[in-house]
Amino acid sequence: MPKHYRPPGKKKEGNAARYITRTKAVHYLQTSLSSFRKLCILKGIFPREPKKKVEGNHKTYYHMKDIAFLAHDPLIEKFRDIRAHKRKIKKALAKKNRDQANRLLSQQPKYKLDRLILERYPTFVDALRDLDDCLTMVHLFAALPAVEGERIQVERIHSCRRLSHQWQAFISRTHKLRKTFISVKGIYYQAEVEGQKITWLTPHALQQVLTDDVDFNVMLTFLEFYEALLGFVNFKLYHSINLNYPPILDPRLEALAAELYALSRYVATSYGAQPKNVQAIDSSQSDQTDAGKNETRPDESELRLAQLQHQLPANEPGALMQMVEDATSKEDDDDDETKECKYLFKDMKFFLSREVPRESLLFVIPAFGGVVSWHGDGSPFSEADEDIMYQIVDRPVQGHLFLSREYIQPQWVYDCVNARMILPTEPYAVGRIPPPHLSPFVDNEVEGYVPEYAETIKRLKASAKEQVLPLPGAGSDELDNSQNLLVEGIIDRAEAIEAEEKKRKLSMLEKQYRDELNMEFKGINYSASLPNRGSSDDNVVEEDTTTTNLEQIAEDAQNRSKISMSRKKRKIYEAMQISKERKKANVDLLKERKKKAEEQGRTR
Amino acid sequence: MARTKKSNRENQDGNFGRSDALEPAHDEQGSPREEDDEHHAAEESDSSEDEVAPRNTIGDVPLEWYKEEEHIGYDISGKKIKKQTRKDRIDSFLAGADDSKSWRKIFDEYNDEEVELTKEEIGIIRRILKGKTPNTEVDPYADYVDWFVWEDKGHPLSNAPEPKRRFIPSKWEHKKVLYHLLQFARGWIKFDKPEEEPPFRLLWDDDSNLADSRRHGLSYIPAPKSKLPGHEESYNPSVEYIPTQEEINSYQLMYEEDRPKFIPRRFESLRSVPAYESALKEGFDRCLDLYLCPRTRKKRLNIDPEALKPKLPSRKDLRPYPTICYLEYRGHIGPVKCISIETSGQWIASGSTDGTVRIWEIETGRCLKVWDVGEAVQHVAWNPLPELPILAISLGQDVLLLNTGLGNDEEQLKVKELLNVAEPVITDDASDSTPTVSWIPYTKYGGIRLKHFKAVSTVEWHRKGDYFTTVVPSGDSRAVLLHQLSKKSSHNPFKKLHGLPVSAVFHPTRSIFFVATKKHVRVYDLVKTKLIKKLEAGVREISSISIHPGGDNVIVGSKEGKMCWFDMDLSSQPYKTLKIHPKDITNVAFHRSYPLFASCSDDCTAYVFHGMVYSDLNQNPLIVPLEILRGHTSSNGRGVLDCKFHPRQPWLFTAGADSVIKLYCH
Repeated sequence: MPKHYRPPGKKKEGNAARYITRTKAVHYLQTSLSSFRKLCILKGIFPREPKKKVEGNHKTYYHMKDIAFLAHDPLIEKFRDIRAHKRKIKKALAKKNRDQANRLLSQQPKYKLDRLILERYPTFVDALRDLDDCLTMVHLFAALPAVEGERIQVERIHSCRRLSHQWQAFISRTHKLRKTFISVKGIYYQAEVEGQKITWLTPHALQQVLTDDVDFNVMLTFLEFYEALLGFVNFKLYHSINLNYPPILDPRLEALAAELYALSRYVATSYGAQPKNVQAIDSSQSDQTDAGKNETRPDESELRLAQLQHQLPANEPGALMQMVEDATSKEDDDDDETKECKYLFKDMKFFLSREVPRESLLFVIPAFGGVVSWHGDGSPFSEADEDIMYQIVDRPVQGHLFLSREYIQPQWVYDCVNARMILPTEPYAVGRIPPPHLSPFVDNEVEGYVPEYAETIKRLKASAKEQVLPLPGAGSDELDNSQNLLVEGIIDRAEAIEAEEKKRKLSMLEKQYRDELNMEFKGINYSASLPNRGSSDDNVVEEDTTTTNLEQIAEDAQNRSKISMSRKKRKIYEAMQISKERKKANVDLLKERKKKAEEQGRTR
Repeated sequence: MARTKKSNRENQDGNFGRSDALEPAHDEQGSPREEDDEHHAAEESDSSEDEVAPRNTIGDVPLEWYKEEEHIGYDISGKKIKKQTRKDRIDSFLAGADDSKSWRKIFDEYNDEEVELTKEEIGIIRRILKGKTPNTEVDPYADYVDWFVWEDKGHPLSNAPEPKRRFIPSKWEHKKVLYHLLQFARGWIKFDKPEEEPPFRLLWDDDSNLADSRRHGLSYIPAPKSKLPGHEESYNPSVEYIPTQEEINSYQLMYEEDRPKFIPRRFESLRSVPAYESALKEGFDRCLDLYLCPRTRKKRLNIDPEALKPKLPSRKDLRPYPTICYLEYRGHIGPVKCISIETSGQWIASGSTDGTVRIWEIETGRCLKVWDVGEAVQHVAWNPLPELPILAISLGQDVLLLNTGLGNDEEQLKVKELLNVAEPVITDDASDSTPTVSWIPYTKYGGIRLKHFKAVSTVEWHRKGDYFTTVVPSGDSRAVLLHQLSKKSSHNPFKKLHGLPVSAVFHPTRSIFFVATKKHVRVYDLVKTKLIKKLEAGVREISSISIHPGGDNVIVGSKEGKMCWFDMDLSSQPYKTLKIHPKDITNVAFHRSYPLFASCSDDCTAYVFHGMVYSDLNQNPLIVPLEILRGHTSSNGRGVLDCKFHPRQPWLFTAGADSVIKLYCH
């Protein structure tokens, strides 16, 4: 009888009935592969791994229930409609029936994704949990060149840019940003919204390369879903702070490519989180504005009026009331971390030079309570402002220096944010190579290797907390740490050492006994042999053997415990040991490199 | 060009028309032709230059025939008409640059002259290029003048009466209109565009009940999040994260899958960081992972590896057990193959491949006796009765029963009497030429020599000290033999034996007999003389066997370093298989009174275990590894060859291939 024999008339059961290969699924749904793909992406259906792959090992299996779920979706019918409609247009065009074609073009069937989003993410927290990929993708597309005639439509890119700015404005104004990291791939951000940690990557603000080795159809399908998802999430978030969602922005700022700033101003005016100094900024700005700018003033004020009218339900009580509200309720709402983040750069004014990544810093600095301006049109205050505390520059030499402020490299801001404290600025001064930029996502203790700069920051933090000046050399806490570590080690080895010592004693006794026996045999008097016994040779040998014995004992203990384990557990244990060793090898490699680098530094 | 052709044709006409006249075509010539042919006239009248006769007189022949010549025909006086010298390109360019009208000039190759086109001619050319009629006055869409007069002719083209359908409204048009009306009424056709709904709305209401907010469909497995970047991905990592050039080069030697995807780099400042070239590719890869990768829930063991170790009772509680080497018995010069301890625990006998058997005093290590038996000793065994200090030694084909000379005189007398064989007793149970066993007096040391038909490997005593068994591994059906000392008789209990026997042991209390073959352990009832049980070790080759003093548990050592513990009440499969030694297990041993057992192996180690057997049948034996005993050195690839426990004390004796016997004490 064959292996999978099924008597006639008996239904399939088990894995054969439960799982279906992709080709069969496409046939089952009566669609094309591309629309099947699209369906899967939009519905979030993924292949599953059956316990037994009935059709073969190298095939993709979908669960039958997933496929049935797809089959019952109205979207599949919609796709068929769209396909039929496209054919109609094609036919009309082929018959040179322009009117018909135009009419059909204007009546294209459309579908909406809100139902799908609600289906995939029944609660808002679910959506937030899955937002990482969404944000990364939207930010990536926002950074792509908006070139007419490319494979990607310009509107898509603009909408991505808009959505990403809206998200950033919310995060920045509600001080939800937690960690930042400049990597080679771009800048990573981590925010915490409703207890969910959301991490996303924004590419560096440079010309991105459009490569040929990607399938844009797939990416654009994903993007389609992600755009919708982020739109709805933004809506919910804006709603939660009493804002109208598609925000109306100052077109002047928008035109100056300072959309994020425009957005955050919009959020600030209506959220009520606008700090007092913004008014000061406005006044200072009005002082500085020249005649040319005065002309644009009326327009701007009109716009503001329009905005305010738009915001009436939220903004009715007026600025003062809001300030009060802000002072009372909001503070209580915020958890400790948010508060900490809010006041990190409080009462600090930053100015960005031309060459620094403006969008990123405009996002990060306000998120931690700072006030920021930049070199260029539409900036809230100019470079000559006396209150500016930090000017962020990224050039080899700074020409004109204001003595009242410090000139620092952008990395300082990110490091401060990650360390949650204002770091000393000298290492980040203009023209110097800044200290290493460390990832905030790594748990150094778990990893087993703590970079030097992390230690420094830790010490600085500790000293800031206790108001004690840090020791330049080894801190006391460091010593404690090492002691702690030692203690742990001792506990592990205590038994081994104890046993080893006993052994040594016994072996000494044995040796003595044997020597005595020998002597008896040889007929040497006991008392005569006494001075001989203190010979140094024996001791040396003894010392040598103890070290090997210690290792031997540890190994024996290991072996003994291994014997009593079951085979399965032993295999797991061995695998764990391997991974442990690999980790250790990594750490060792790092240490070795570090040592070499230090040596090189010393020789130079 | 058009002009040249025209004049060309005209020239032909002229030639054919008046061939005999032979006068150049002049202005006068045009007029008679005009009279002839109205059409020609109309065509030619538009340019006055056309009337100029061609300079060329070669006729309508290809010009290239005259390419080499300096002339283009002859004039009326018979002189050559010289070609003009052609301007080269620079000259023509200069001329063109100087003369603003040069673009109008055309070189007429046929007549070898330069012609300047007039404005009208250029206009004509342009019109032709546009596809219009050359002449501006021609109206291609002139009103149609129907010069055929219908009226009063009396005969129209068709005389049929007008059909009725010309006078009544169309039914199908009416239907179409009705349908459209219906469409309007039903709202199928809308004239005003549908209102644009706002693209986003509040999707997640706070007051949505939780029961409804369950995800439909199969259980959702969220995709694993992307890996968070480590220190090495920083634009400015610490020095130690940057691989050296040699390391980067060594990556090239790796397999492509093993090669690190990302090589850390260090940039001095943020402005020098370039765009990441594979940003799009990585985004795409993530997309592929999300929709193409099968997802399963994998349980990740996030536990301390130490937690995997079973909870064993502390070794301290299981004392006493042998831990350290207390004494060494040196004297043999070859590997010590076997040892045996006297029941009282005072003496130990050892047999070596150097052909000697020694008896030592345990406590002192004094060698009491040395028997030179002349052949490599395979096995030694003390008689278990303390009053019968007889030692059985197997060597080659012989088994010697020797009087050790211990004990008091009375006992000695008894022993001597027992070991006295008057004449050789030969078992002739089989009709073979060689007798299976023959009992011969051994004169050298005063004892009995049992001469077997083939080499003997082991000899084991029954607990009562009268019977003993020997194993002849290559003996086929006579492999396991039973001997009775008092009657000096031997017999072969098994007519047929499955497998190659390795060892045979008596049950410590009952009349049960264990035969270890290479694959199984066969358990026989000696009274009923039948097989009770077959223990399947599942190992490659059994090397040794030992029976628990209780008799229900058996340990079996194998040549692949595995030891199997059988609980005979439980099953015929091993209760526990312990993979301990990397090399062959040479012997396994139970202690007679303490819950200890040991194994020794060719890897120069001996393991001591705690093996507690409970009288309660529901409780499984407890096996705890206690100690690894080292000390022997390897010689010729062999390590420890034998191990035995002291009958009273928790001491272990090991015999090594390095010709040393060691005593391990607690």
